[in-house]
Amino acid sequence: MRLISGNLVRLFGYAEVVLCITGLALLIWRRQWKDYTWLGAFLAVRASSSVLLIAIHQIVGPLIGPRRAYPYYACVYWTTAAIESVLTLMIVYGVFKLAMAPLKGLQTLGTLVFKWAAGISVAVALGNAFTPNSADGYLLTAISQLQRTQSILTLCLLLFVTFAIRPMGLTYSSRIFGVGLGLGAMATNDLVQSAWLSFHPDMGGTYNVILGVVSCSIFLLWNVYFALPEPKRRIIVLPTTSPFLRWNQISQALGDEPGFVAVGGVPPEVFAPAELEIMRRASAKMPTASTSPMPKVTDFPTAAKRVASSAI
Amino acid sequence: MKTIVRSIVVVLALTGAVATTVTPAASAKTTVAATKTSAMPAPRCPLNSPDGCGFNNW
Repeated sequence: MRLISGNLVRLFGYAEVVLCITGLALLIWRRQWKDYTWLGAFLAVRASSSVLLIAIHQIVGPLIGPRRAYPYYACVYWTTAAIESVLTLMIVYGVFKLAMAPLKGLQTLGTLVFKWAAGISVAVALGNAFTPNSADGYLLTAISQLQRTQSILTLCLLLFVTFAIRPMGLTYSSRIFGVGLGLGAMATNDLVQSAWLSFHPDMGGTYNVILGVVSCSIFLLWNVYFALPEPKRRIIVLPTTSPFLRWNQISQALGDEPGFVAVGGVPPEVFAPAELEIMRRASAKMPTASTSPMPKVTDFPTAAKRVASSAI
Repeated sequence: MKTIVRSIVVVLALTGAVATTVTPAASAKTTVAATKTSAMPAPRCPLNSPDGCGFNNW
């Protein structure tokens, strides 16, 4: 049984490398690299990581023995896990920006909130790593915490994209949803796997076969989404009472550069001679209460005169 | 279709939430609390593990 599961684990390892390289090729072929740069980087890191891990297990292990090969394997595994964790955060950020592209106001507001949430996640991860009770290595604790917070953030994004898919003009066939679904499945599996493997730390467990199936299914899902043509984004029609529309308008108004009015202390030298002449003429035309009566409608210039005066 | 997809996503989120509550209790017994979704087995023992954490068992 152990031999079969070991063979299957190795087989899934090779399949993972193939699927990652295929995903990268599809990203480039479909000209989606610009929109999904971080996903491409993630696939590249995962492919490299798996190749290195397979090499350590298949080539280095038999040469120097399992006990001495294991630290190399662990170092490569956890270093790439940290990089992938950060890249996953960036993918989530990219997916959110793409999903919210038609609603610029909400996109700006959401980006601000996301940056704060991601910043706090990283700060909490580092803070937890340096607590006095940290029995594990600092780096491993930080990676673990970062992965956990990143998984929760990813699941929140998936929930948001799923339930707000219509106002954003997307369908379940959209790549944005496909990438979000894959990330969500990965995040859930990370959390479940952490709980399970805490009780079964041995690397030879049959559970690794399930992990292989899940991992390859996620990469296969992404490959299918990128291989198939993406349906065009629908025209977004929102009712005037839609909270999305209202919040988008409010968000667009937030942070605008205000206009400025000079209310005093303006020396005459800052004005051009022509401006001073216009102001002098305007002042001369202004009626005073003692000398002239209140102006009538006919006293104001006609439309043609107004155009001429504004041209001046 | 809409209901099915939404149900799947909600189940994913709930499973993740439940797993988050289980992990801290479990992590006190072993070295590392988190892993990544990968076809390659996760090394979860200390670096000086006497049997290489079952390195040859797969």
